[in-house]
Amino acid sequence: MDTPTPPTAAEAQLLLDRADRLSRSAHNATRWPYITFVLALGVATSMGTFAMALTTGTAFGLSYFGTLGVVFALMLFFLAGIRGRSAFARSRRWTGYIASWFVTYAAAIAVVIWAHGSVLLAGIASGLILLVAMFSAAREARS
Amino acid sequence: MTATDHHPRHRLDDLLHNPVRFSIIAALDRAGTLGFKEVRDAVEITDSALSKQVATLESAGYISVGKAFAGKLPRTSLTLTRQGRAAWKAHLATLREIAGESS
Repeated sequence: MDTPTPPTAAEAQLLLDRADRLSRSAHNATRWPYITFVLALGVATSMGTFAMALTTGTAFGLSYFGTLGVVFALMLFFLAGIRGRSAFARSRRWTGYIASWFVTYAAAIAVVIWAHGSVLLAGIASGLILLVAMFSAAREARS
Repeated sequence: MTATDHHPRHRLDDLLHNPVRFSIIAALDRAGTLGFKEVRDAVEITDSALSKQVATLESAGYISVGKAFAGKLPRTSLTLTRQGRAAWKAHLATLREIAGESS
């Protein structure tokens, strides 16, 4: 059985500092794959949808399959990176990031389908993907 | 009741006063849920020492232990419960109160 010895003021401050340091380091050690993934996903899909919206023929095929390939590789990296880690996978915050990305991605795909060739709309839609991804990554990094 | 009964040290959580248990809960504070190995690495203790303290914290309702499989490998996750978070916040508040006494 432990016999609690009350800490002095200096010891209490040391304990508080230690708690903060431990909490941050444990959190930082587990969230980097999430930040990397959401940022890379945003960059890849933003550039991919922009290219898809403005190209035709072989160039379109290349951008389409290139984007798919990069997203697939990112998902593999992510699944390998979070193997055994479950810090954020089911968190409300993480669901929010992915849902936000998906909404902007769906909008960009809609531009590819229904407004093909429009530089303005493609720029806005793809830019939104990038903005949402960067905002999510920055928010996660600062949490 | 004497004046000494009002000292904040009386409000310290005995369970969290243990350095290892203190560190385990501190590691879980921001992340919420971590793998057994992640907590072990953060706290820098052996598997058996961690298991022992995890059992104590689990029986107190401060953390919940999840078991899952990643392929064929078993994965144990530790999650800070609502009760554990409340106890942790109260413990930290008391420590802050004690730390503030010097000023």
